[in-house]
Amino acid sequence: MSIRLLPPTLVNRIAAGEVIERPAAAVKELVENALDAGASRIDVVLENGGQTRIAVVDDGCGMSSEELLLAVERHCTSKLPDDDLLRIRHLGFRGEALPSIGAVSRLEITSRPRGSEAAWRLRVEGGEKGALAPAAHPPGTRVEVRDLFYATPARLKFLKTPRTERDAAVDAVQRLAMAWPQIAFSVTADEGRALLKLAPASDRRTRLAAILGRDFADNAVEIAAEREGARLSGLAGLPTLARATAKDQYLFVNGRPVRDKLLLGAVRGAYQDLLAGDRHAMVALFLELPAEEVDVNVHPAKAEVRFRDSQMVRGLIVGALRHALAAAGHRASTTVAATALHAFRAPPSMGMLALQPRPSARELAEAQALYAPPPAAAEPAPAAAEEPEPAELYPLGLARAQLHDTYILAETRNGFVLVDQHAAHERLVYERMKAALAANGVARQALLLPEVVELDEKAAALVAGRAEELAQLGLVLEPFGPGAVVVREVPALLGDKVEVAALVRDLADELAELGEAFALKERLEEVCGTLACHGSVRAGRKLSVPEMNALLRQMEATPHSGQCNHGRPTYVELRREDIERLFGRR
Amino acid sequence: MKLTIERAALLRALGHVQSVVERRNTIPILSNVMLKAEKGKLSLAATDMDIEIVERVPAQVSRDGATTAPAHTLYDIVRKLREGAQIELDAGSDRGSMTLRSGRSTFTLQCLPPEDYPHLAGGELPHTFQLTASELKQLIDRTRFAISTEETRYYLNGIYFHATRSNEMPVLRAVATDGHRLARVEMMCPEGAAGMPGVIVPRKTVGELRKLIDENEGEIGLALSETKIRFAFGEATLTSKLIDGTFPDYDRVIPTGNDKILEVDCKTFAEAVDRVATISTEKSRAVKLSLDKNTLVLSATSPENGTATEELEVRYNAAPMEIGFNSRYLLDIAEQIEGEGVQFAMSDAASPTVVRDTADPSALYVLMPMRV
Ligand SMILES: Nc1ncnc2c1ncn2[C@@H]1O[C@H](COP(=O)(O)OP(=O)(O)OP(=O)(O)O)[C@@H](O)[C@H]1O
Ligand SMILES: [Mg+2]
Repeated sequence: MSIRLLPPTLVNRIAAGEVIERPAAAVKELVENALDAGASRIDVVLENGGQTRIAVVDDGCGMSSEELLLAVERHCTSKLPDDDLLRIRHLGFRGEALPSIGAVSRLEITSRPRGSEAAWRLRVEGGEKGALAPAAHPPGTRVEVRDLFYATPARLKFLKTPRTERDAAVDAVQRLAMAWPQIAFSVTADEGRALLKLAPASDRRTRLAAILGRDFADNAVEIAAEREGARLSGLAGLPTLARATAKDQYLFVNGRPVRDKLLLGAVRGAYQDLLAGDRHAMVALFLELPAEEVDVNVHPAKAEVRFRDSQMVRGLIVGALRHALAAAGHRASTTVAATALHAFRAPPSMGMLALQPRPSARELAEAQALYAPPPAAAEPAPAAAEEPEPAELYPLGLARAQLHDTYILAETRNGFVLVDQHAAHERLVYERMKAALAANGVARQALLLPEVVELDEKAAALVAGRAEELAQLGLVLEPFGPGAVVVREVPALLGDKVEVAALVRDLADELAELGEAFALKERLEEVCGTLACHGSVRAGRKLSVPEMNALLRQMEATPHSGQCNHGRPTYVELRREDIERLFGRR
Repeated sequence: MKLTIERAALLRALGHVQSVVERRNTIPILSNVMLKAEKGKLSLAATDMDIEIVERVPAQVSRDGATTAPAHTLYDIVRKLREGAQIELDAGSDRGSMTLRSGRSTFTLQCLPPEDYPHLAGGELPHTFQLTASELKQLIDRTRFAISTEETRYYLNGIYFHATRSNEMPVLRAVATDGHRLARVEMMCPEGAAGMPGVIVPRKTVGELRKLIDENEGEIGLALSETKIRFAFGEATLTSKLIDGTFPDYDRVIPTGNDKILEVDCKTFAEAVDRVATISTEKSRAVKLSLDKNTLVLSATSPENGTATEELEVRYNAAPMEIGFNSRYLLDIAEQIEGEGVQFAMSDAASPTVVRDTADPSALYVLMPMRV
């Protein structure tokens, strides 16, 4: 066996295996190149999910004939002028994408530099570079990729259906488009059908609404926070807008879409006690920080990054989200009301009703008398003739009735709200318990047999290093030689079935990965949650009007009261316009 | 196999053995009870591979033989038959099924061959001694509540029995702890037990054993090795694997120098703790004990409900102190005290407290405080 230098074509194909794993990856690389070239509009065409043909056309700076020849060579890039990997300002920096694509497909690039009259075309087929040919083209670049992976049939086998590949490609463009609102994007399918069409937007919210839907934009809070030179902006969905998967969490670092564990963990942390474990918040968050604070060169597809100060980044995200969500208070998402609206249906046949004469005033009065509560029978009259306050004063209005002993109907200034009494009360009890925990500290059960937990040396040091903070949460431990800690006291709230070793190991993992002791907080809050559920008024219990109003007033005063501990809404609101729409008055 | 047996006798024996059979089994034969007719007796056996119970009952056997039948189904059938009924069990020569007849009812049950039935009983059990039913009951009942249910420290999931010396006397001790509290009960060492190894009897075994003790008076024969233990009651025998682990050196955590001694009427104390704890809604109902000369003030606070206090007259002559406990643990221990008085020996708010029955030195409890 002899060692030899691999021929460049093979090297490129190997690289392609990492960088270009599917059509969407090629699309992403090409659109990034267009963005790097300063384009103001980018058009993408996908044929057969991108497998037969991908075309990306931009109006960016373009390339001269010499540049064109270099662009398809390995490790040729215009984007690292000062050879400094620590200061990456473009999306591309490896000079790897074009040669990789060229190695596994039939690639054709046509380009005309801005300010030049001449356009040139270059073909690369399965890694074989063709000759330059003059062409006709407006300023900018057009890259066409045909028969992707024809040169690597093994890869071809792993592709999913054209439809799935196409969706992934559109998703890749959408993600980039979120980060670049001023730029126009389009994606067209082979038959000319528009899959995505985005006009230049003046701000990010407009762009996000165009991509993720109005519902998201209307039911998200604006995030804007800054810490030590890092800036976080974007939109965070209300907990009631949560999804079953984490797919709708869009995260960006310096304009680069990423799926980074640390960032996802921070988002989870921020929503931790607002969502049930299997629900996921919808967010689009943009983190901007000095290039030297972040290493983007850690993942072949650049989907992950590494931060110099990950604690700071995590703190920034958790802090900013929590703050904004708490400020949103009792707001529940309007999509909830929208879903409710759809459920109201007009009676199947209006004809019959129309034939009936309008009820006379007398009949109406009779009917009203029938439905009015019996005079001061069931309920003790609310404290001596207290003037009913005008509904305007309160966001959640005044209680008018209880339906099915389960829902409170309250009239608000411009509509009505329907409150799920159990869910709402549960949240109130829970928030109160949390406040008590924070104020009085966590009671600790001392252990008769202190438990030694074996960890690796690094993890043990990490956990022991945070002993003070953990003690505040009721877990008292100290180092026990290298690679172990000894637990002396545990939070009494967890009862006598705490798996101390498992808890400490989870904590060690989280401290290493996310920098915060979630496992413990989560368990404490979970217990609070269960207790709250048991300690709150059930559905089916009759409430008096003062009781109902008291509940509404407490909800207004309590943060996060818009959803119960499981992320379900505690109330829905129907605005007057909605009601009018229902009856065709609008 | 063919025999006739009285319903009550069969039901009683089945009741004992079927409770070790797990509801869900991946090994089909473990759902069955082994039935064996021989010399005028029917013997029934069931196992979950960790515990085996064998019981023999008199029956009119007309043909010796053996089979295995679904335990829970058989039990349910016998339970539903009329009181006083005679039951005929007949497993034909093909042995794939057994017919049960009683009055006008006939059931045919699918059976599995008895040769495949796993036996736990093998192996030598060199240490043997006798205990009375009430002695064993004391050892179990006064420690059982402290058995841990947390599975990572599996060696705490049972009662530790061992022979040792206490005040120069040989004793047999039972100890259980869940890491928050500990219970230790001892008795004069019965003959033959002195040389036994320390063994941990699993929680499930303790439960099964307890049921058998209730129905059998008199002597129980114990036989054990380092891995197995057997309890022989008249006609029933329970054999169990032991927990393969080392019980912690519990003596080290029992303080000997606690000099702040509180003595109080047990019933009064327990009632007061129960009352005061009512105020807290939490699971960890903390109760604070504030001690001063001959007075004890119990108190509890709940951020939700408010506070509760109750003053008790006690015997206490040491320096004033305060200490908190989980009220449930206090009540659990109070329940174990049979005499009138209970004694607490304390050191400080962070250290273990020793609790005893003032009239009975054989049992001792250690409790860790709760800290706020
Ligand atoms: N659409 C385009 N407009 C203008 N120049 C382009 C365009 N696409 C590519 N280039 C030029 O070709 C070079 C090589 O592109 P390629 O994508 O292979 O590498 P890169 O973008 O520098 O780095 P990376 O491999 O990280 O994407 C770029 O540095 C750029 O100078
Ligand atoms: Mg590139």
